[in-house]
Amino acid sequence: MAAADRRYLWMSGVAAVLIVSVVAAVWHRDPLHQDLMVALAPPSLGFPLGTDHLGRDVFARLFHALPRSIGIATAAMAAAAFFGTSAGLIAAASNRLVDGALMRLTDLALAFPGLLLAMVLAGLMGGGTMPVLLGISLAQWPQFARMTRTIAATVLTEAHIEASRLAGLAEWRILLRQVMPRVLSQTMALATLGVGGAVLTISSLGFLGLGLQPPTPEWGAMITELLPYMDLAKIQIAAPCIALFLTVLACMAAGRRLAEAR
Amino acid sequence: MSHPVLRVSDMSVKDRSGTLLVDRVSFSVQRGGAFVIIGETGSGKSLVAQSVLGLLPAGLVVSGRIEFDGEVVDLADRTALRRHWTHHLALIPQEPRSALDPTMRVLPQIAGLGQQHRARATMSSLSLHPAVERQYPFMLSGGMAQRVLVAGALTTDARVVIADEPTKGLDDDRVEEAVSRLRQIQEHGRAVFAITHDIRVAQGLGGQLAVMREGRVLEQGPVDSVVSAPHHAYTRAWLGADPDRWHARKASGSAEPVLEADNLSYRIGSRTLFHDLSLDLCQGCITAVTGPSGSGKTMLCNVLLGLARPSAGTVRWKDGTDPHLVRRPPLRSRYQKLHQDPASAFVPGRVLRRQFADLRSVLPPGYMERDLPSLIERLELDAALLDRRPDEVSGGQLQRIAIARVLLFDPLCLVADEPTSRLDPLIQRDVMALLRKLVDERGMSLVLTSHDRRLMRAVADDVVRLG
Amino acid sequence: MQRAVRHAIPRAVFRRVLEAIAVALILATICFALVHAIPGDMALRTAVSRLGVENTSPGAVEQIRESEMLSRPLIAQYGDWLGAVVTGDIGRSFVSGRPVAEELLGASGYTLRLAAIAWLLSYAFALPLGIAAGLAPNGALDRATALAAAALSSLPTFMIGIALISVFVLSLDWLPPAGYRRPEHLVLPALTLALGLMAPSVRIIRNAVVEVQDASYMTYARIRGFGRIKAFARHGLRNAGVPIVTFAALQFAYLMDGFFVVETLFNYPGIGDAMVKALLARDVPVVMGCALLIGTTYAGISLLAYLICMALDPRLVDEGHGSR
Repeated sequence: MAAADRRYLWMSGVAAVLIVSVVAAVWHRDPLHQDLMVALAPPSLGFPLGTDHLGRDVFARLFHALPRSIGIATAAMAAAAFFGTSAGLIAAASNRLVDGALMRLTDLALAFPGLLLAMVLAGLMGGGTMPVLLGISLAQWPQFARMTRTIAATVLTEAHIEASRLAGLAEWRILLRQVMPRVLSQTMALATLGVGGAVLTISSLGFLGLGLQPPTPEWGAMITELLPYMDLAKIQIAAPCIALFLTVLACMAAGRRLAEAR
Repeated sequence: MSHPVLRVSDMSVKDRSGTLLVDRVSFSVQRGGAFVIIGETGSGKSLVAQSVLGLLPAGLVVSGRIEFDGEVVDLADRTALRRHWTHHLALIPQEPRSALDPTMRVLPQIAGLGQQHRARATMSSLSLHPAVERQYPFMLSGGMAQRVLVAGALTTDARVVIADEPTKGLDDDRVEEAVSRLRQIQEHGRAVFAITHDIRVAQGLGGQLAVMREGRVLEQGPVDSVVSAPHHAYTRAWLGADPDRWHARKASGSAEPVLEADNLSYRIGSRTLFHDLSLDLCQGCITAVTGPSGSGKTMLCNVLLGLARPSAGTVRWKDGTDPHLVRRPPLRSRYQKLHQDPASAFVPGRVLRRQFADLRSVLPPGYMERDLPSLIERLELDAALLDRRPDEVSGGQLQRIAIARVLLFDPLCLVADEPTSRLDPLIQRDVMALLRKLVDERGMSLVLTSHDRRLMRAVADDVVRLG
Repeated sequence: MQRAVRHAIPRAVFRRVLEAIAVALILATICFALVHAIPGDMALRTAVSRLGVENTSPGAVEQIRESEMLSRPLIAQYGDWLGAVVTGDIGRSFVSGRPVAEELLGASGYTLRLAAIAWLLSYAFALPLGIAAGLAPNGALDRATALAAAALSSLPTFMIGIALISVFVLSLDWLPPAGYRRPEHLVLPALTLALGLMAPSVRIIRNAVVEVQDASYMTYARIRGFGRIKAFARHGLRNAGVPIVTFAALQFAYLMDGFFVVETLFNYPGIGDAMVKALLARDVPVVMGCALLIGTTYAGISLLAYLICMALDPRLVDEGHGSR
């Protein structure tokens, strides 16, 4: 993939986030404002996507939930990528003892179902932003560690590393200039894919009632809350579903393109 | 000998854009005879074999005719060609081990139920131990796997056995063995059609030889007459590239040592690669390190360069420091190495000029403007090559650029680890000639590792044998 | 060689069993640590969940602190708890007061039934689809399955479930909405899980088949006179089997994630449902019991998958020569 293509990908992502934030800021309704008189109202000019069982504007809630979900997902993946990549690099660059210990730890952490860890953490800590963020990054870092370690170990056996060592270049310079670029391109791809997965996890936690706590608008929770009124609130349920689907699809597509670009 | 079992006429291969990759090649293979196509990488010799088998990669178009025992088939008709598999054609693939299914025992792979008796007989005629038939491919050595494949080819009724690069990646002393296996095929009354870059295969098999370059057959005829009286200039150059025909070099070394190694040993687990090895490297000398693959040639070089710590013994560089005892030896960058695969010796995807600029922290200021251009000129390279990425430069040129990078450090000692084994014979000769000249000009000490004994004989002043 | 093989299998099994135990133990330890790391008084939380907010009095809290021995040092509690776990006693539920093992035994039966049906269902579709797509890469079927897989893997499990409910229950009225007593009740949860499982496994199967098709032993087999299909049946299936089985075991993790959602959505009384309810009620012994059970099951399944792979690929038995 050409650099221009990659720039296009980033720019469209930034543009999408900007548009959504502007819409959320400009739309005059408060996502938390309840008005039982208009509960479960069908879509109208005042409520483009109708209202929920407490009379809150679904459109406003939808658009306020997006930056929050993406924000938490991005922060969680950034933390996971940072710690995972560091652990992987340290493992690849250090002696067998440290390497072995770090990789055994990674293997063990990889064996846990991802949602389980996030669920236990978020559930026992009572939900909310920090537990969700922590749970997701705790579940995701081993992937980055494993991948980084694999790539870095391969690159470190290549002849150009030896050539640089023979030239007397400092080890950190070699890691930074010859190993990091190869690791980073893949890390970015995995993290972008991971943001999609994290958005899914956040909504699943919300759906189970273990994620962000009400009344914070969150897609999964919005869907659960309205499930008892499924007959009356088809649009109100469909809207967050579609938003979720499109967001995740976009992250996955972007991640896949980045991965193919290498 | 008058009746060919296989006759190819006017074979041409084009790619999608219409570029001619193989240009009107015609040849015939005699019953029980041998036919060898020789050529360098990219000469189109593999395409010829693939076309005969109907296995060309998708996107390539072939035209021409092939004749099996008088039956004419259009080369473009892959299904018709496939009908002749096992009846007329058998293949001994290039990488014998990966051609066998790793999850299946040997015997059922090379022969169906009805033919197992015959396969057993052939295997024992190739002096394979009866236990081999029950083993899995990963338990076999490369040579054994190739013998199994020969047995597989002989179990079919095929009258022509195609051998694709039968000596690729083999150690020097295994080449003879591989050629004798191909001769055994002829003893069974089959014809051998071999594709190779190694003139020794042709000489060992006899029969007909065709020299290919850039899709064309330059000349064709009985092996002996082509080798003794080549018509074409390229053939002459090719044959001249054979190390056996190089001019002997007169030793010009001074006695001053740049490296002394005493009682070196290296063990991995319970295996000892070398034990109690002592050697001196002198200025202007070429020292060869030879031995079969896996005998520790590379490890010995790494020990001398201070990259790997020996189990016992000492290394002393010119200023008397032991690189294994000093954290940053002052002469670090003057003990250099030339890698086997030039492509991997440069950071992939990074413009070469920037890779030279990356060395600014370890080289005196001004080297980019002062030293590099004159070196590039000395090595007969185009300076514009430096603005390309490593994968955009050919192997021979890249190896010269790697030499330029090494020379920037004004090395006292240069270790060249199989510097030409990935290069075609003509380029191999050029690179070796260049290295020899540089040794004389600069008075550095050159350590050369190779499994090619003939190459060693041709250039080395001193030989260290391992394994 | 033969002797090496005979010794390798028990050694590999032994290693895997140790690993499985380690996974379960660490999972349990993390749970224990988390439970005690969360801010707030453990006894108070227990009292609230057991008695309800209105009935909680300082006296009741103290009584619980006494009976659950919560005032002792953490390390002693951890030791006690570990000791009890080893003997098979994983405590009593804070909420119902019944032994956790007893509660989970019933739930795991339901979950096991659902898991087996969902898993079989997904591979009943994924295997033929994946193989067909892999035999004709970039064909119409390959593109269609790629697209469907990308879409399905962007859908959270609960959305697949809701979609199925709204079609089969609300619109068509073919199936009962929720429950667990009759076989019909299993159809929708199993289908939801199976669809989610299929999305990645079709692609994995397809990739494994494509890779095997390109292998040089496949070309060689065909030159020796085997037809396309016969060569695939002889050499392809077994070689492609190794990555497929490995992935199928990995999918248990996905299946577990799916249980939490699907069992909650369909009100199905399995392990996932039990764990979500326990988390919401802060019923710590049940949470830890679930985590232990899930950890050991997962480790057991990967052990089983490894043994199957060893039977499929002899290189794995002899790790010294193996290519992995």
